[in-house]
Amino acid sequence: MLLGFEAPSIDFHALAPEIVVTATLAVLILVDAFTPKQAKSAQSSIAGLGLLLALVPVVTLAVDGGTRVMFEGAFVVDTFSLVLTGLFLVSGYVVILLSQTYIAEGDYWEGEYYQLLLASILGMMVMASARDLITVFIALELLSIPAYMLAAWRKRDLRSDEAGIKYYLMGVFASAVLLYGMSLLYGLTGTTMLSEIATKLAGEDVPSAAVLAIVFIVVGFGFKVSAVPFHTWAPDTYEGAPTPVTAFLAVASKAAGFVALMIVVFGAFPFRVDIVEPLFWALAVATMFVGNLIALRQTNVVRMLAYSGIAQAGYMLAPLAVAGTVGDAAVQSILIYLMIYATMNLGAFAVVIAASRKTRSGELTSFAGLVRYAPGLAVAMAMFLFSLAGIPPLGGWFAKFGIFKTLVEADSAAGYSLAIIVGVNSVIALFYYARVAKTMIMDDVPDGDLSPVQVPVSLRAAISITLVLTVVFGILPQLVAGLTDNATLLSAVAVP
Amino acid sequence: MDLMLNQFLFLGAILFCIGVYGVLARRNAVMVLMSIELILNSVNINLVAFSTMWGVASGAVFALFVIAVAAAEVGVGLALVLMLYRNMRSIDVDRVDLMKG
Amino acid sequence: MDFTSGQFWTSPITYMVFVPVVGALVMLLVPKANETAHKVLALVTSLVTAAIGISILTAFNYDSAGELQGVVDTDWIPFINANWIVGVDGISLPMIALTLLIVPLCVVYSWDHIPSPGNAKAFLILILVLDTGMLGSFVAQDLILFFVFFEVVLLPMYFMIGVWGGENRQYASIKFFLYTLFGSALMIVAFISLYFLSGAETFSMIELPGLAQSITHGWQLVIFGGMLIGFGIKVPMFPVHTWLPDAHTQAPTVGSVILAAVLLKLGTYGFIRIAIPILPEAARSYQWLIGLLAVIGIIYGALCCLAQTDMKRLIAFSSVAHMGYVMLAIATLTTFGINAAIFGMVAHGLITGMLFFVAGSTKERYHTLEIKRLGGLLKQAPRMGWILGLATMASLGLPGLAGFWGEFPAILSAYDPTNADYSTGFFGVSNLVLFRVFMVVAAIGTVFAAGYLLFLFQRVAFGVPSEEFEHEPIPDVNRFEWIAWVPMLVLIVVLGVYPNLIFSVTDSTVAPMMQLAAGG
Repeated sequence: MLLGFEAPSIDFHALAPEIVVTATLAVLILVDAFTPKQAKSAQSSIAGLGLLLALVPVVTLAVDGGTRVMFEGAFVVDTFSLVLTGLFLVSGYVVILLSQTYIAEGDYWEGEYYQLLLASILGMMVMASARDLITVFIALELLSIPAYMLAAWRKRDLRSDEAGIKYYLMGVFASAVLLYGMSLLYGLTGTTMLSEIATKLAGEDVPSAAVLAIVFIVVGFGFKVSAVPFHTWAPDTYEGAPTPVTAFLAVASKAAGFVALMIVVFGAFPFRVDIVEPLFWALAVATMFVGNLIALRQTNVVRMLAYSGIAQAGYMLAPLAVAGTVGDAAVQSILIYLMIYATMNLGAFAVVIAASRKTRSGELTSFAGLVRYAPGLAVAMAMFLFSLAGIPPLGGWFAKFGIFKTLVEADSAAGYSLAIIVGVNSVIALFYYARVAKTMIMDDVPDGDLSPVQVPVSLRAAISITLVLTVVFGILPQLVAGLTDNATLLSAVAVP
Repeated sequence: MDLMLNQFLFLGAILFCIGVYGVLARRNAVMVLMSIELILNSVNINLVAFSTMWGVASGAVFALFVIAVAAAEVGVGLALVLMLYRNMRSIDVDRVDLMKG
Repeated sequence: MDFTSGQFWTSPITYMVFVPVVGALVMLLVPKANETAHKVLALVTSLVTAAIGISILTAFNYDSAGELQGVVDTDWIPFINANWIVGVDGISLPMIALTLLIVPLCVVYSWDHIPSPGNAKAFLILILVLDTGMLGSFVAQDLILFFVFFEVVLLPMYFMIGVWGGENRQYASIKFFLYTLFGSALMIVAFISLYFLSGAETFSMIELPGLAQSITHGWQLVIFGGMLIGFGIKVPMFPVHTWLPDAHTQAPTVGSVILAAVLLKLGTYGFIRIAIPILPEAARSYQWLIGLLAVIGIIYGALCCLAQTDMKRLIAFSSVAHMGYVMLAIATLTTFGINAAIFGMVAHGLITGMLFFVAGSTKERYHTLEIKRLGGLLKQAPRMGWILGLATMASLGLPGLAGFWGEFPAILSAYDPTNADYSTGFFGVSNLVLFRVFMVVAAIGTVFAAGYLLFLFQRVAFGVPSEEFEHEPIPDVNRFEWIAWVPMLVLIVVLGVYPNLIFSVTDSTVAPMMQLAAGG
């Protein structure tokens, strides 16, 4: 048996981004072990550099073009995965910028923080390339387990404990349900390869166990992307976790959940849209309405951003409800949305982190009159919020436009009804986004304290990067859209 | 053989249901963790049974991965529960309810 | 935008649209305290923009005004096949000219009228961003490009009302924002439906008029309906007008002026430029409804005016009535009607803009706009009183002033609508009968208009000052006000005496367009 073992051929270029991040992780652990507790500031720099370095092979791979398939199709590097790997690396870097002073100034474990963060990002990168049930599962756990710990990072604060426990229990339960669905899927098809599963499930009559498996899998990932009714962990976790971690969960982790959804839906169920589409239609509608309506009555900005993130997840779920008719257009519109959403949402969190350095609170009232003592922050926040609301010329408009376009392209009752519902929800959402902007710009400072906010360089950098990108993406959306031109998940699936 | 497979699947399904019930009904965090373990083990039984049925090893390999990952998960989970206990002197998940809205 | 395209970089339209934003960016770098520098920068920027604009207007070949001129067509978002297509023709030309005129005047007026709570920097930057949005909307020949520019004006206007507005500013600003956003959501879905259902997968306004005929009539009605609500909110048409009185009343003077003079025109411009040429069949089906809503707007606006006690609110409702005339003219779907509508848009922009200027200056002097507390303006500030007189006379449609040519042809056009025998959904009444009824109602509306405008002028300007202001020193029109107002006053008179200035430009574009629409 041992003699029959054939080492798989490994394309090191294709694996380079993952290798770089893994190496950085190893370096971090080593450096951490040999530095005294007071001198951990090198950690964040090394972690950030490692992520930027990993972008280099991503670019060279993109320039090289083509699709690289490894491990008999379980790991694929193509446009889709490269775009997402880039997204995860860049948003990871921004999260490090956000964390730097927050983690250094608080009484936290600094070294482990960045190690866990990198491990989670590594899991996301693997997820983007995974095309096999086992790989998807491993990637999911690799990105989730460190995130549970990060959410509970302020470990002497009961709220942070609560954030961690809730996130953990919900997350683990969801992945258990997901696994059960996967095991059923494996039983029906006898393979873990998504493309083979797709072919085997293609027949006219579908066993009822397959419906069950699909529902379980969608539910499992539904937790990850905080789709209603599996969203209950999100607001508490977001509010309780350290704000940089919240940003990470709201952006990168959610994106990874969507990646997994897309990979599984398009990889394994492209011929079972009859089951998947109605499921996503209902999920999208519920997620949009519940997220937006509850966000309306939030008084805490972070919590409001959590609910707004739920609603945004609803918009992103919508194209999946017409996946059968529009095909890869749905993938592209979700990718575009994810990239723009990451930019503006990270920006919003960056401003919240910066402003709370003075206000020491996430309550909306504490940000009143921000424009008087921190005009830059207030204007930047307004831009991010109105971008989230989808107002041109800020990036968000194109993200929403992509969703509208995909829905209308389907030319079906499901598509048009969702388009109208997205439209209605955009108007509802504007109300609470505008309220935050209004409080910051039009209201008076509560205590009359006009001393300026000290914004550290790293936060400044994070806000500038995200602000510039938010505006540029809005004016020249082709920069984002062009990246997804060749992003496809369906081409790998053989039509039976 | 068919009969045998059904028995395994039946066992798996029962374990899954017990696990789900435990997660939803139990208030003790450790009991919730154990219920989740039950679900994971039902998955393992399924995977191994299917693996034998199809005559391919991938299912069994999958089960090994699940076992390893489950260990990591529980490790983190117990640490979180311990932390909760230190701060709250209780591991009743219903009492973890500071934030609302 | 395709930056390698020489076409993009050599076109003056590019510079006209983007110079204001560049100016705004420069102003961002100047510290807030240096207010004079900001005022100078804003003025210079708006004047440079106007100069570039004038160079475009002079280079325009008026003999073939029917053609789209100065066309630039390069890639913008190839992913969705939306292109940077811009151009100027006889319809957009008057609108561009109006914008180029109003913005510098607003900057001049702001020189010593920065409303509370101050901050000239932010205020002027918003005006410049508005400038880009408005000019961009009028030159855009691509639906998505139009949409983006159309929306660019939203945020600055929201902040202008919300930060520098009156007491009820926050309510007014969010109401304005929500209404418009709702309209644009419908609009964008309509645009995308056009893109796919026409089978052409293009957003080009130049190509779509010929292509959209293949869409089934039912879908045409749905798409037109989306645009009807989207543009109708902006106009604003009768049932969706309620944001306007609040926005106008609460907005700072300059905000009201820009809103009345240019922003409202984006709605009617959308009908003339997009909805009707692309979907003429659907337009004919909706003809009766648009006409009906227009006359309801005329009468309703007039009646509301009669009930107002606040000067600004009265002018705001008169806007609803005046835009009703414009919509009635558009609803006739005749060359004559559309020409009248465009003239009405320009005239209303100048006159109502002027009225808001005077109202703003009145408020500044008396600290109130309660009509019953005012009086004797002619005694205390005679020049301002007479300017108010001229503006109200123009607004009520006195022959010899611009307002007349905005109103009278609009009413006249309803005498002979297109498709006269066609009996529409309205109780089977033929178009001819229906529009003649509309004509009579609209004519009655002018009587009301005369009523409330004369009431306004008489109460504010005549008589003696009320006791509370009797001994207040009320300064007359100052330097900056003169500079800001004179061009508008002159134009009101010039257009009143020589309306052909506009008709000659618009007619050559409108006539072939309506022929195409009628033949389709």
